Amino acid sequence: MKKSTPYLLLTPALVFTAFILVYPLGQNFINSLREVSMVKGTGGWVGAANYIRVFRDPLFLLSFRNTLVYALAGTLLALCFGLGLALLLNMKLGRITTFASFVFAIPWVLSPVVAGFAWKWVLNDNFGIHNYWLSLAGIVKAGTSWLGDPHTALFCVILARVWQFYPFAMVMFLAGLQAIPLEQYEAAAVDGASMIRKFFHITLPNLRSVASVLLVLGVIWSFNDFNMVFVMTRGGPMNSSMVLPVLVREYSFVYFDMGKGSALSMITFLLLVALSSLYIRILAERDAS
Amino acid sequence: MKRFALTALILVLAFAVLVPFLWTLSTSFKPLTEVDKSPPEWFSPHMSLKPYSDMFFYLPFSTYTLNSLIVASSSTLVTLCAGSLAAFAFSRFTFAGKRAFLVIFLLSQMLPGASVIIPLFQLLKSVGLYDTHAGLILVHSAVLLPFVIWLLYGFFQGIPREVEDAALIDGCSRMMALRRVILPLALPGIGATALFAFLGSWNEFFFALILTSSDATKTIPVGIGLFIGEYNDIWNQMAASAVLFSIPPLLLFALMRKTFVKGLAAGAVK
Repeated sequence: MKKSTPYLLLTPALVFTAFILVYPLGQNFINSLREVSMVKGTGGWVGAANYIRVFRDPLFLLSFRNTLVYALAGTLLALCFGLGLALLLNMKLGRITTFASFVFAIPWVLSPVVAGFAWKWVLNDNFGIHNYWLSLAGIVKAGTSWLGDPHTALFCVILARVWQFYPFAMVMFLAGLQAIPLEQYEAAAVDGASMIRKFFHITLPNLRSVASVLLVLGVIWSFNDFNMVFVMTRGGPMNSSMVLPVLVREYSFVYFDMGKGSALSMITFLLLVALSSLYIRILAERDAS
Repeated sequence: MKRFALTALILVLAFAVLVPFLWTLSTSFKPLTEVDKSPPEWFSPHMSLKPYSDMFFYLPFSTYTLNSLIVASSSTLVTLCAGSLAAFAFSRFTFAGKRAFLVIFLLSQMLPGASVIIPLFQLLKSVGLYDTHAGLILVHSAVLLPFVIWLLYGFFQGIPREVEDAALIDGCSRMMALRRVILPLALPGIGATALFAFLGSWNEFFFALILTSSDATKTIPVGIGLFIGEYNDIWNQMAASAVLFSIPPLLLFALMRKTFVKGLAAGAVK
Protein backbone atom coordinates (compact mmCIF):
# COMPACT_ATOMS: atom_id res chain seq x y z
CA MET A 1 0.00 0.00 0.00
CA LYS A 2 1.44 3.32 -1.01
CA LYS A 3 1.42 6.28 1.30
CA SER A 4 -0.25 8.44 -1.30
CA THR A 5 -3.31 6.16 -1.73
CA PRO A 6 -5.64 7.88 0.80
CA TYR A 7 -4.79 11.29 -0.64
CA LEU A 8 -5.55 10.04 -4.14
CA LEU A 9 -8.89 8.76 -2.91
CA LEU A 10 -9.64 12.13 -1.35
CA THR A 11 -8.68 14.13 -4.43
CA PRO A 12 -12.07 14.22 -6.20
CA ALA A 13 -13.84 15.28 -3.01
CA LEU A 14 -11.22 17.93 -2.33
CA VAL A 15 -11.51 19.32 -5.86
CA PHE A 16 -15.25 19.70 -5.33
CA THR A 17 -14.70 21.40 -1.97
CA ALA A 18 -12.25 23.80 -3.55
CA PHE A 19 -14.80 24.53 -6.27
CA ILE A 20 -17.74 25.16 -3.96
CA LEU A 21 -16.01 26.67 -0.94
CA VAL A 22 -12.36 27.67 -1.15
CA TYR A 23 -12.36 29.43 -4.52
CA PRO A 24 -15.71 31.24 -4.05
CA LEU A 25 -14.82 32.47 -0.58
CA GLY A 26 -11.45 33.75 -1.78
CA GLN A 27 -12.94 35.37 -4.85
CA ASN A 28 -15.75 36.79 -2.75
CA PHE A 29 -13.24 38.52 -0.51
CA ILE A 30 -11.51 40.04 -3.55
CA ASN A 31 -14.87 41.13 -5.01
CA SER A 32 -15.83 42.79 -1.76
CA LEU A 33 -12.86 45.15 -2.08
CA ARG A 34 -13.60 46.15 -5.66
CA GLU A 35 -16.30 47.80 -7.61
CA VAL A 36 -18.13 44.93 -9.31
CA SER A 37 -21.28 45.65 -11.22
CA MET A 38 -23.10 43.35 -13.56
CA VAL A 39 -23.93 46.34 -15.71
CA LYS A 40 -20.59 48.14 -15.76
CA GLY A 41 -18.25 45.18 -15.26
CA THR A 42 -15.40 44.91 -12.77
CA GLY A 43 -13.92 48.24 -11.80
CA GLY A 44 -11.03 49.31 -9.58
CA TRP A 45 -10.16 48.65 -5.96
CA VAL A 46 -12.27 50.59 -3.50
CA GLY A 47 -10.89 49.39 -0.16
CA ALA A 48 -13.52 49.13 2.53
CA ALA A 49 -16.04 51.29 0.69
CA ASN A 50 -18.40 48.39 -0.04
CA TYR A 51 -18.40 47.41 3.62
CA ILE A 52 -19.08 50.97 4.69
CA ARG A 53 -21.99 51.17 2.26
CA VAL A 54 -23.43 47.97 3.76
CA PHE A 55 -23.08 49.20 7.34
CA ARG A 56 -24.69 52.53 6.44
CA ASP A 57 -27.68 50.80 4.88
CA PRO A 58 -30.51 50.69 7.45
CA LEU A 59 -31.74 47.60 5.65
CA PHE A 60 -28.63 45.72 6.78
CA LEU A 61 -29.36 46.22 10.47
CA LEU A 62 -33.00 45.32 9.98
CA SER A 63 -32.09 42.15 8.07
CA PHE A 64 -29.48 41.21 10.64
CA ARG A 65 -32.02 41.54 13.43
CA ASN A 66 -34.62 39.58 11.43
CA THR A 67 -32.11 36.83 10.64
CA LEU A 68 -31.27 36.46 14.32
CA VAL A 69 -34.93 36.34 15.31
CA TYR A 70 -35.70 33.92 12.49
CA ALA A 71 -32.81 31.61 13.38
CA LEU A 72 -33.22 31.67 17.17
CA ALA A 73 -37.00 31.67 17.49
CA GLY A 74 -37.44 29.20 14.64
CA THR A 75 -34.92 26.76 16.06
CA LEU A 76 -36.08 27.00 19.67
CA LEU A 77 -39.74 26.50 18.77
CA ALA A 78 -38.85 23.57 16.51
CA LEU A 79 -36.80 21.99 19.27
CA CYS A 80 -39.62 22.30 21.81
CA PHE A 81 -42.22 20.90 19.44
CA GLY A 82 -39.85 18.14 18.28
CA LEU A 83 -39.09 17.16 21.86
CA GLY A 84 -42.78 17.02 22.73
CA LEU A 85 -43.54 14.75 19.80
CA ALA A 86 -40.51 12.56 20.53
CA LEU A 87 -41.73 12.07 24.11
CA LEU A 88 -45.15 11.16 22.76
CA LEU A 89 -43.71 8.66 20.28
CA ASN A 90 -41.46 7.17 22.94
CA MET A 91 -44.47 6.05 24.99
CA LYS A 92 -44.76 3.01 22.69
CA LEU A 93 -48.47 3.03 22.01
CA GLY A 94 -48.23 0.28 19.40
CA ARG A 95 -49.29 0.65 15.76
CA ILE A 96 -50.27 4.29 16.03
CA THR A 97 -46.64 5.14 16.84
CA THR A 98 -45.37 3.77 13.52
CA PHE A 99 -48.06 5.69 11.69
CA ALA A 100 -47.42 8.88 13.61
CA SER A 101 -43.65 8.79 13.25
CA PHE A 102 -44.18 8.71 9.48
CA VAL A 103 -46.85 11.43 9.35
CA PHE A 104 -44.99 13.74 11.75
CA ALA A 105 -41.91 13.52 9.51
CA ILE A 106 -43.68 14.44 6.28
CA PRO A 107 -43.03 18.22 6.38
CA TRP A 108 -39.33 17.44 6.53
CA VAL A 109 -39.13 15.66 3.15
CA LEU A 110 -41.12 18.25 1.25
CA SER A 111 -39.18 20.82 -0.71
CA PRO A 112 -38.95 24.22 1.03
CA VAL A 113 -40.63 25.64 -2.04
CA VAL A 114 -43.63 23.36 -1.53
CA ALA A 115 -43.65 24.11 2.19
CA GLY A 116 -43.55 27.85 1.52
CA PHE A 117 -46.32 27.57 -1.04
CA ALA A 118 -48.53 25.45 1.23
CA TRP A 119 -48.18 27.90 4.13
CA LYS A 120 -48.72 30.90 1.95
CA TRP A 121 -51.92 29.33 0.69
CA VAL A 122 -53.14 28.26 4.12
CA LEU A 123 -52.51 31.77 5.48
CA ASN A 124 -54.11 33.54 2.52
CA ASP A 125 -56.20 36.46 3.77
CA ASN A 126 -59.39 35.69 1.88
CA PHE A 127 -59.46 32.01 1.06
CA GLY A 128 -57.03 30.51 3.60
CA ILE A 129 -58.27 27.85 5.95
CA HIS A 130 -56.43 29.20 9.01
CA ASN A 131 -58.05 32.58 8.79
CA TYR A 132 -61.42 30.94 8.41
CA TRP A 133 -60.94 28.81 11.53
CA LEU A 134 -59.52 31.67 13.55
CA SER A 135 -62.40 33.93 12.56
CA LEU A 136 -64.89 31.19 13.43
CA ALA A 137 -63.28 31.01 16.86
CA GLY A 138 -63.63 34.78 17.04
CA ILE A 139 -59.88 35.35 17.44
CA VAL A 140 -59.40 37.49 14.36
CA LYS A 141 -61.70 39.09 11.89
CA ALA A 142 -62.05 37.49 8.48
CA GLY A 143 -59.67 38.78 5.83
CA THR A 144 -56.74 39.38 8.17
CA SER A 145 -53.67 39.52 5.96
CA TRP A 146 -50.96 37.72 7.93
CA LEU A 147 -48.32 37.85 5.22
CA GLY A 148 -49.26 41.34 4.08
CA ASP A 149 -48.87 42.91 7.50
CA PRO A 150 -45.32 44.05 8.41
CA HIS A 151 -45.98 43.10 12.04
CA THR A 152 -46.82 39.47 11.36
CA ALA A 153 -45.01 38.54 8.12
CA LEU A 154 -41.78 37.40 9.77
CA PHE A 155 -43.74 35.41 12.34
CA CYS A 156 -45.52 33.53 9.53
CA VAL A 157 -42.24 32.64 7.87
CA ILE A 158 -40.89 31.42 11.22
CA LEU A 159 -43.97 29.22 11.60
CA ALA A 160 -43.31 27.59 8.22
CA ARG A 161 -39.65 27.15 9.13
CA VAL A 162 -40.59 25.45 12.41
CA TRP A 163 -42.87 23.18 10.42
CA GLN A 164 -39.97 22.05 8.25
CA PHE A 165 -37.35 21.72 10.97
CA TYR A 166 -39.16 20.11 13.92
CA PRO A 167 -39.18 16.58 12.35
CA PHE A 168 -35.38 16.53 12.31
CA ALA A 169 -35.33 17.49 15.99
CA MET A 170 -38.01 14.89 16.71
CA VAL A 171 -36.02 12.07 15.09
CA MET A 172 -32.83 13.07 16.89
CA PHE A 173 -34.56 13.45 20.26
CA LEU A 174 -36.30 10.11 19.82
CA ALA A 175 -32.95 8.41 19.18
CA GLY A 176 -31.60 10.19 22.25
CA LEU A 177 -34.53 9.06 24.39
CA GLN A 178 -34.12 5.46 23.31
CA ALA A 179 -30.45 5.54 24.24
CA ILE A 180 -31.13 6.43 27.89
CA PRO A 181 -30.32 3.37 30.04
CA LEU A 182 -33.50 1.98 31.59
CA GLU A 183 -31.68 1.28 34.88
CA GLN A 184 -31.66 5.01 35.60
CA TYR A 185 -35.45 5.09 35.53
CA GLU A 186 -35.72 1.87 37.52
CA ALA A 187 -33.44 3.24 40.22
CA ALA A 188 -35.53 6.41 40.37
CA ALA A 189 -38.71 4.36 40.60
CA VAL A 190 -37.26 2.49 43.58
CA ASP A 191 -36.60 5.86 45.20
CA GLY A 192 -40.23 6.77 44.56
CA ALA A 193 -39.53 9.66 42.17
CA SER A 194 -42.50 11.24 40.40
CA MET A 195 -42.90 11.45 36.61
CA ILE A 196 -41.96 15.12 36.65
CA ARG A 197 -38.89 14.53 38.79
CA LYS A 198 -37.79 11.74 36.45
CA PHE A 199 -38.22 14.02 33.46
CA PHE A 200 -36.13 16.83 34.91
CA HIS A 201 -33.49 14.70 36.61
CA ILE A 202 -33.02 11.87 34.12
CA THR A 203 -34.57 12.59 30.72
CA LEU A 204 -33.49 16.21 30.20
CA PRO A 205 -29.86 15.83 31.38
CA ASN A 206 -29.46 12.80 29.10
CA LEU A 207 -30.71 14.80 26.12
CA ARG A 208 -28.35 17.69 26.71
CA SER A 209 -25.77 16.77 24.09
CA VAL A 210 -28.37 16.03 21.41
CA ALA A 211 -30.13 19.30 22.22
CA SER A 212 -26.98 21.39 22.00
CA VAL A 213 -26.00 19.87 18.64
CA LEU A 214 -29.52 20.47 17.34
CA LEU A 215 -29.57 24.02 18.61
CA VAL A 216 -26.33 25.02 16.95
CA LEU A 217 -27.02 23.15 13.70
CA GLY A 218 -30.54 24.57 13.57
CA VAL A 219 -29.34 28.12 14.11
CA ILE A 220 -26.63 27.74 11.47
CA TRP A 221 -29.00 26.25 8.92
CA SER A 222 -31.67 28.86 9.56
CA PHE A 223 -29.08 31.60 9.44
CA ASN A 224 -28.18 30.36 5.94
CA ASP A 225 -31.74 29.80 4.86
CA PHE A 226 -32.84 31.72 1.82
CA ASN A 227 -35.78 29.61 0.65
CA MET A 228 -38.59 30.18 3.10
CA VAL A 229 -38.43 33.97 3.14
CA PHE A 230 -37.93 34.21 -0.60
CA VAL A 231 -40.85 31.93 -1.43
CA MET A 232 -43.29 33.36 1.11
CA THR A 233 -42.60 37.11 1.22
CA ARG A 234 -39.47 37.97 -0.83
CA GLY A 235 -38.49 39.92 2.28
CA GLY A 236 -41.60 42.12 2.27
CA PRO A 237 -43.90 43.78 2.97
CA MET A 238 -41.74 46.90 3.23
CA ASN A 239 -38.70 44.70 3.96
CA SER A 240 -40.24 43.71 7.29
CA SER A 241 -39.18 40.08 6.83
CA MET A 242 -35.90 40.67 4.97
CA VAL A 243 -33.07 38.31 6.00
CA LEU A 244 -29.38 38.41 5.09
CA PRO A 245 -29.26 35.68 2.38
CA VAL A 246 -32.22 37.25 0.56
CA LEU A 247 -30.60 40.68 0.88
CA VAL A 248 -27.39 39.34 -0.71
CA ARG A 249 -29.41 38.27 -3.73
CA GLU A 250 -31.22 41.61 -3.75
CA TYR A 251 -27.98 43.63 -3.80
CA SER A 252 -26.26 41.38 -6.35
CA PHE A 253 -28.92 40.15 -8.73
CA VAL A 254 -31.67 42.76 -8.45
CA TYR A 255 -29.61 45.96 -8.15
CA PHE A 256 -26.60 44.30 -9.89
CA ASP A 257 -24.26 45.78 -7.28
CA MET A 258 -22.06 42.74 -6.75
CA GLY A 259 -19.40 44.62 -4.81
CA LYS A 260 -21.91 45.53 -2.12
CA GLY A 261 -23.41 42.03 -2.32
CA SER A 262 -19.97 40.48 -1.83
CA ALA A 263 -19.25 42.68 1.18
CA LEU A 264 -22.54 41.66 2.76
CA SER A 265 -21.89 37.99 2.07
CA MET A 266 -18.43 38.29 3.67
CA ILE A 267 -20.05 39.74 6.78
CA THR A 268 -22.62 36.94 6.79
CA PHE A 269 -19.84 34.42 6.42
CA LEU A 270 -17.86 35.81 9.37
CA LEU A 271 -20.97 35.62 11.55
CA LEU A 272 -21.33 31.99 10.49
CA VAL A 273 -17.73 31.19 11.28
CA ALA A 274 -18.37 32.37 14.83
CA LEU A 275 -21.39 30.08 15.06
CA SER A 276 -19.50 27.14 13.54
CA SER A 277 -16.63 27.41 15.99
CA LEU A 278 -19.23 27.13 18.73
CA TYR A 279 -20.48 23.97 17.06
CA ILE A 280 -17.00 22.44 16.88
CA ARG A 281 -16.42 23.25 20.53
CA ILE A 282 -19.65 21.51 21.49
CA LEU A 283 -18.71 18.46 19.41
CA ALA A 284 -15.26 18.34 20.98
CA GLU A 285 -16.78 18.55 24.47
CA ARG A 286 -19.14 15.73 23.62
CA ASP A 287 -16.32 13.54 22.32
CA ALA A 288 -14.29 14.24 25.45
CA SER A 289 -17.05 13.21 27.83
CA MET B 1 -58.16 5.48 29.29
CA LYS B 2 -54.81 7.20 29.29
CA ARG B 3 -53.82 5.21 26.24
CA PHE B 4 -56.97 6.28 24.45
CA ALA B 5 -56.40 9.95 25.27
CA LEU B 6 -52.83 9.78 24.01
CA THR B 7 -53.89 8.07 20.79
CA ALA B 8 -56.50 10.76 20.23
CA LEU B 9 -53.88 13.44 20.89
CA ILE B 10 -51.54 11.86 18.33
CA LEU B 11 -54.29 11.77 15.71
CA VAL B 12 -55.22 15.42 16.30
CA LEU B 13 -51.58 16.47 16.08
CA ALA B 14 -51.06 14.41 12.94
CA PHE B 15 -53.97 16.19 11.30
CA ALA B 16 -52.87 19.61 12.52
CA VAL B 17 -49.37 19.04 11.18
CA LEU B 18 -50.66 17.97 7.79
CA VAL B 19 -53.18 20.81 7.32
CA PRO B 20 -51.01 22.95 5.01
CA PHE B 21 -50.29 19.98 2.77
CA LEU B 22 -53.84 18.62 2.84
CA TRP B 23 -55.23 22.05 2.01
CA THR B 24 -52.86 22.23 -0.96
CA LEU B 25 -54.01 18.76 -1.99
CA SER B 26 -57.65 19.80 -1.78
CA THR B 27 -56.98 22.96 -3.81
CA SER B 28 -55.17 20.98 -6.50
CA PHE B 29 -58.38 19.17 -7.50
CA LYS B 30 -60.69 22.19 -7.52
CA PRO B 31 -61.78 24.14 -10.56
CA LEU B 32 -60.48 27.70 -10.60
CA THR B 33 -63.95 29.11 -9.85
CA GLU B 34 -64.06 27.32 -6.49
CA VAL B 35 -60.49 27.92 -5.37
CA ASP B 36 -61.29 31.32 -3.92
CA LYS B 37 -64.57 30.38 -2.34
CA SER B 38 -65.29 32.00 0.98
CA PRO B 39 -65.90 30.33 3.41
CA PRO B 40 -63.38 27.74 2.23
CA GLU B 41 -64.50 24.16 1.69
CA TRP B 42 -62.43 20.99 1.83
CA PHE B 43 -64.47 19.10 -0.71
CA SER B 44 -66.42 20.13 -3.75
CA PRO B 45 -68.50 18.04 -6.14
CA HIS B 46 -66.58 19.54 -9.05
CA MET B 47 -63.19 18.19 -8.08
CA SER B 48 -61.24 16.67 -10.95
CA LEU B 49 -57.78 16.05 -12.30
CA LYS B 50 -58.14 18.94 -14.72
CA PRO B 51 -55.68 21.28 -12.93
CA TYR B 52 -53.06 18.56 -13.34
CA SER B 53 -53.47 18.35 -17.09
CA ASP B 54 -53.86 22.15 -17.42
CA MET B 55 -50.60 22.64 -15.63
CA PHE B 56 -48.69 20.74 -18.30
CA PHE B 57 -50.52 22.69 -20.95
CA TYR B 58 -50.11 26.23 -19.62
CA LEU B 59 -46.73 25.94 -17.91
CA PRO B 60 -43.61 24.20 -19.29
CA PHE B 61 -43.76 21.56 -16.57
CA SER B 62 -42.76 18.59 -18.69
CA THR B 63 -39.47 20.35 -19.51
CA TYR B 64 -38.97 21.26 -15.83
CA THR B 65 -39.59 17.67 -14.79
CA LEU B 66 -37.10 16.35 -17.31
CA ASN B 67 -34.53 18.93 -16.13
CA SER B 68 -35.07 17.98 -12.50
CA LEU B 69 -34.65 14.28 -13.31
CA ILE B 70 -31.46 14.87 -15.29
CA VAL B 71 -29.89 17.13 -12.67
CA ALA B 72 -30.89 15.06 -9.63
CA SER B 73 -29.84 11.67 -11.01
CA SER B 74 -26.54 12.94 -12.44
CA SER B 75 -25.68 14.78 -9.22
CA THR B 76 -26.44 11.61 -7.25
CA LEU B 77 -24.11 9.58 -9.44
CA VAL B 78 -21.25 12.08 -9.35
CA THR B 79 -21.46 12.73 -5.62
CA LEU B 80 -21.67 9.00 -4.80
CA CYS B 81 -18.53 8.26 -6.83
CA ALA B 82 -16.47 11.04 -5.27
CA GLY B 83 -18.04 10.46 -1.86
CA SER B 84 -17.44 6.71 -1.63
CA LEU B 85 -13.76 7.11 -2.51
CA ALA B 86 -13.33 9.71 0.24
CA ALA B 87 -15.38 7.73 2.77
CA PHE B 88 -13.31 4.64 1.98
CA ALA B 89 -10.12 6.57 2.64
CA PHE B 90 -11.45 7.85 5.97
CA SER B 91 -12.70 4.48 7.17
CA ARG B 92 -9.78 2.27 6.12
CA PHE B 93 -6.58 4.35 6.21
CA THR B 94 -4.69 6.27 8.80
CA PHE B 95 -2.86 9.21 7.34
CA ALA B 96 -1.43 12.59 8.24
CA GLY B 97 -4.09 15.29 8.30
CA LYS B 98 -7.04 12.87 8.51
CA ARG B 99 -8.70 14.79 11.30
CA ALA B 100 -8.19 18.10 9.56
CA PHE B 101 -9.78 16.77 6.37
CA LEU B 102 -12.74 15.43 8.35
CA VAL B 103 -13.23 18.84 9.94
CA ILE B 104 -13.09 20.52 6.52
CA PHE B 105 -15.89 18.29 5.27
CA LEU B 106 -17.84 18.79 8.47
CA LEU B 107 -17.60 22.54 8.04
CA SER B 108 -18.49 22.59 4.36
CA GLN B 109 -21.74 20.90 5.36
CA MET B 110 -22.83 24.29 6.66
CA LEU B 111 -22.11 25.85 3.30
CA PRO B 112 -23.20 29.46 3.38
CA GLY B 113 -24.98 29.58 0.03
CA ALA B 114 -25.22 33.37 -0.03
CA SER B 115 -21.47 33.74 0.56
CA VAL B 116 -20.40 31.63 -2.41
CA ILE B 117 -23.10 32.33 -4.96
CA ILE B 118 -21.64 35.44 -6.61
CA PRO B 119 -18.21 33.93 -7.45
CA LEU B 120 -19.87 30.68 -8.55
CA PHE B 121 -22.16 32.65 -10.81
CA GLN B 122 -19.20 34.53 -12.31
CA LEU B 123 -17.14 31.34 -12.69
CA LEU B 124 -19.90 29.37 -14.43
CA LYS B 125 -20.63 32.32 -16.66
CA SER B 126 -16.99 32.69 -17.72
CA VAL B 127 -16.59 29.01 -18.64
CA GLY B 128 -19.93 28.83 -20.40
CA LEU B 129 -21.65 26.61 -17.83
CA TYR B 130 -24.15 29.18 -16.57
CA ASP B 131 -27.71 28.09 -17.37
CA THR B 132 -26.64 24.56 -18.36
CA HIS B 133 -27.45 21.18 -16.84
CA ALA B 134 -23.75 20.42 -16.43
CA GLY B 135 -23.14 23.58 -14.39
CA LEU B 136 -25.99 22.89 -12.01
CA ILE B 137 -24.96 19.21 -11.70
CA LEU B 138 -21.45 20.26 -10.69
CA VAL B 139 -22.75 22.68 -8.08
CA HIS B 140 -25.31 20.26 -6.67
CA SER B 141 -22.73 17.45 -6.46
CA ALA B 142 -20.37 19.72 -4.58
CA VAL B 143 -23.13 20.92 -2.24
CA LEU B 144 -24.26 17.39 -1.41
CA LEU B 145 -20.81 15.85 -1.10
CA PRO B 146 -19.99 16.58 2.57
CA PHE B 147 -23.16 15.00 3.93
CA VAL B 148 -22.80 12.06 1.54
CA ILE B 149 -19.27 11.47 2.82
CA TRP B 150 -20.52 11.51 6.42
CA LEU B 151 -23.31 9.04 5.76
CA LEU B 152 -21.07 6.66 3.75
CA TYR B 153 -18.29 6.94 6.32
CA GLY B 154 -20.72 5.70 8.96
CA PHE B 155 -21.90 2.81 6.78
CA PHE B 156 -18.34 1.79 5.82
CA GLN B 157 -17.29 1.83 9.46
CA GLY B 158 -20.03 -0.68 10.13
CA ILE B 159 -18.41 -3.27 7.86
CA PRO B 160 -16.01 -5.48 9.82
CA ARG B 161 -12.39 -5.11 8.77
CA GLU B 162 -11.87 -8.88 8.95
CA VAL B 163 -13.94 -9.37 5.81
CA GLU B 164 -11.67 -7.03 3.95
CA ASP B 165 -8.49 -8.49 5.45
CA ALA B 166 -9.57 -11.92 4.25
CA ALA B 167 -9.91 -10.53 0.74
CA LEU B 168 -6.46 -8.96 0.97
CA ILE B 169 -4.93 -12.27 2.10
CA ASP B 170 -6.59 -13.96 -0.84
CA GLY B 171 -4.60 -11.65 -3.07
CA CYS B 172 -6.98 -8.80 -3.75
CA SER B 173 -5.54 -5.31 -4.07
CA ARG B 174 -7.01 -2.54 -1.93
CA MET B 175 -9.05 -1.20 -4.79
CA MET B 176 -10.26 -4.66 -5.69
CA ALA B 177 -11.28 -5.17 -2.08
CA LEU B 178 -13.25 -1.92 -2.23
CA ARG B 179 -15.00 -2.96 -5.42
CA ARG B 180 -15.60 -6.64 -4.74
CA VAL B 181 -16.07 -6.80 -0.98
CA ILE B 182 -16.88 -3.45 0.62
CA LEU B 183 -19.19 -1.99 -2.00
CA PRO B 184 -21.54 -5.02 -2.14
CA LEU B 185 -21.72 -5.15 1.66
CA ALA B 186 -22.33 -1.42 1.89
CA LEU B 187 -25.03 -1.51 -0.76
CA PRO B 188 -28.01 -0.84 1.56
CA GLY B 189 -26.16 2.10 3.08
CA ILE B 190 -25.19 3.38 -0.35
CA GLY B 191 -28.81 3.06 -1.40
CA ALA B 192 -29.97 5.20 1.51
CA THR B 193 -27.24 7.73 0.76
CA ALA B 194 -28.24 7.83 -2.91
CA LEU B 195 -31.81 8.52 -1.82
CA PHE B 196 -30.64 11.38 0.34
CA ALA B 197 -28.52 12.85 -2.46
CA PHE B 198 -31.33 12.55 -4.99
CA LEU B 199 -33.80 14.30 -2.69
CA GLY B 200 -31.26 16.98 -1.82
CA SER B 201 -30.81 17.89 -5.47
CA TRP B 202 -34.48 17.38 -6.35
CA ASN B 203 -35.61 19.82 -3.65
CA GLU B 204 -32.75 22.33 -3.96
CA PHE B 205 -33.91 25.84 -4.76
CA PHE B 206 -31.33 28.56 -4.10
CA PHE B 207 -28.51 27.53 -6.48
CA ALA B 208 -30.95 26.33 -9.12
CA LEU B 209 -32.75 29.68 -8.99
CA ILE B 210 -29.64 31.79 -9.49
CA LEU B 211 -27.63 29.55 -11.83
CA THR B 212 -30.36 28.96 -14.42
CA SER B 213 -32.37 31.40 -16.49
CA SER B 214 -34.06 29.64 -19.42
CA ASP B 215 -36.93 27.19 -19.38
CA ALA B 216 -34.65 24.61 -20.99
CA THR B 217 -32.63 24.29 -17.75
CA LYS B 218 -34.91 25.42 -14.91
CA THR B 219 -35.81 22.71 -12.42
CA ILE B 220 -39.27 22.24 -10.90
CA PRO B 221 -38.63 24.11 -7.61
CA VAL B 222 -37.47 27.14 -9.60
CA GLY B 223 -40.59 26.93 -11.72
CA ILE B 224 -42.86 26.74 -8.68
CA GLY B 225 -40.88 29.31 -6.70
CA LEU B 226 -41.03 31.88 -9.47
CA PHE B 227 -44.69 31.31 -10.27
CA ILE B 228 -45.66 31.95 -6.68
CA GLY B 229 -46.34 35.64 -6.52
CA GLU B 230 -46.40 36.14 -10.26
CA TYR B 231 -49.34 33.94 -11.16
CA ASN B 232 -51.60 34.50 -8.21
CA ASP B 233 -54.60 33.65 -10.29
CA ILE B 234 -53.93 29.97 -10.96
CA TRP B 235 -53.68 28.63 -7.42
CA ASN B 236 -55.16 25.26 -8.36
CA GLN B 237 -52.48 24.58 -10.97
CA MET B 238 -49.78 25.78 -8.59
CA ALA B 239 -51.12 23.42 -5.95
CA ALA B 240 -51.23 20.59 -8.49
CA SER B 241 -47.60 21.15 -9.42
CA ALA B 242 -46.59 21.27 -5.75
CA VAL B 243 -48.38 17.99 -5.08
CA LEU B 244 -46.99 16.23 -8.15
CA PHE B 245 -43.50 17.45 -7.31
CA SER B 246 -43.80 16.08 -3.75
CA ILE B 247 -44.69 12.55 -4.78
CA PRO B 248 -41.13 11.25 -5.41
CA PRO B 249 -39.81 12.53 -2.04
CA LEU B 250 -42.79 11.11 -0.17
CA LEU B 251 -42.54 7.72 -1.91
CA LEU B 252 -38.80 7.43 -1.40
CA PHE B 253 -39.12 8.45 2.22
CA ALA B 254 -41.87 5.93 2.86
CA LEU B 255 -39.69 3.18 1.40
CA MET B 256 -36.37 4.06 3.00
CA ARG B 257 -37.43 5.70 6.26
CA LYS B 258 -35.95 3.09 8.61
CA THR B 259 -32.48 3.00 7.04
CA PHE B 260 -32.32 6.75 6.77
CA VAL B 261 -33.43 7.47 10.33
CA LYS B 262 -31.03 4.85 11.65
CA GLY B 263 -28.10 6.44 9.80
CA LEU B 264 -28.98 9.88 11.15
CA ALA B 265 -29.59 8.67 14.68
CA ALA B 266 -26.27 6.80 14.81
CA GLY B 267 -24.48 10.10 14.32
CA ALA B 268 -26.66 11.86 16.85
CA VAL B 269 -26.24 9.81 20.01
CA LYS B 270 -22.76 8.39 19.61
